[in-house]
Amino acid sequence: MSWFSSPGSREKKKEQRTLAETEPQVHRSLGLAALFEEFRRGRKLQVLDLGPALGSNVEFLSQYGCKIYIEDLFAALSARAPAGGEGDEAGPQFFESFLPASEPASFDVVLAWDTFNYLTRKELGHFMRHLSPFCHPGTLVFSLISILKTIPAQPIRFRIIDEQNLAYEIRTSATRPAPRFVPAEMNDLLRGFRVDRSFLLRHGIQEYLFVKEGERRP
Amino acid sequence: MAWKRDDPPGTNPQQPEPPSPPRPLTAAAPAAPSAPEPPRRSGERATIGPSIFIKGDLAGEEDLVIEGRVEGKVDLKQHNVTIGKNGRVKADVFGRVVTVEGEVDGNVFAAEQAVLRQSGAVRGNITSPRVTLEDGSRFKGSIDMDGSRAAGGSGSGSSSSPGSSGKAAAANEGQANRPGSAANVANAG
Repeated sequence: MSWFSSPGSREKKKEQRTLAETEPQVHRSLGLAALFEEFRRGRKLQVLDLGPALGSNVEFLSQYGCKIYIEDLFAALSARAPAGGEGDEAGPQFFESFLPASEPASFDVVLAWDTFNYLTRKELGHFMRHLSPFCHPGTLVFSLISILKTIPAQPIRFRIIDEQNLAYEIRTSATRPAPRFVPAEMNDLLRGFRVDRSFLLRHGIQEYLFVKEGERRP
Repeated sequence: MAWKRDDPPGTNPQQPEPPSPPRPLTAAAPAAPSAPEPPRRSGERATIGPSIFIKGDLAGEEDLVIEGRVEGKVDLKQHNVTIGKNGRVKADVFGRVVTVEGEVDGNVFAAEQAVLRQSGAVRGNITSPRVTLEDGSRFKGSIDMDGSRAAGGSGSGSSSSPGSSGKAAAANEGQANRPGSAANVANAG
């Protein structure tokens, strides 16, 4: 597929520009638009938001009558020193505190935002193994993966403006290398999930909508 | 100094006055010929000071401000509960409007509205037909805006019907000019 081929010269120029250089701005999100098709079905959805508590997002999602779980993985990732090497990697126990142990939940939607960009491949595997029991066939995971060489040193804050637009808030000018997950390995790392839809955006973000495999709920 | 206010004995003019609870302005009101009204307890407000530590359940018939530490259960379903900036609550909190400026480790049930201020932190679940999270606040848990479940299902004062899920209040109330706020970003786009 041409989208997944190595970037041409125009894309290389984009790579030289990091996201941290940009001002907070609104980007059209095709993945979000696809995700909200699920919200519009009218069912009371259980939504896991791995980002920080943002009132505007809660406000927006409240229109759909969903129950929102906020597990601020961003805060822990931001506090953690950037994983410099494999030895710094977080083990499975690192992720266990991020999902509700007291209240059993089965999420319909997981808003992962750009969290995966801040995990190593091994960490992503640990995290998805921990997340998987909280999901059911048909659960959707919305993730934004950078295809650029560098990413902001801290995760971006994404605000839902409407069903098709996201505001990006980058809180640091410092950068770090991006893991640059490619689509083929995403399928492998997110075992039990498959890419339902994928959209490559012009500013160097590839939006993914993963779906948990299996027979869907009616 | 030529001018000096006559302070009542026992007061120290250098110290700021503690926040006084709003009281009905009965003195300034014109004298009404009708029979005197019973005391309006809804306008009263109790405060648990910063040095107070309460272990046990709290219940009452007036609004409450918690600036100290409470462990147990706070049950004021018909009244407003404010956990002040110094407040540390390890309890489930039931109220009409629950405002968190300090820290709560427990579930919040607000029949009308739950407000998590910028300085506030909640580790627990919030159940209320209206939820306001200010930017900078810390929250870990779930938010359920099904009005029928708020405040133990008392339904007091809630105009939201179950299923309508109410409407979350503006996230950046009073912060519309903050750089990077949702409103600003949206307008910039």
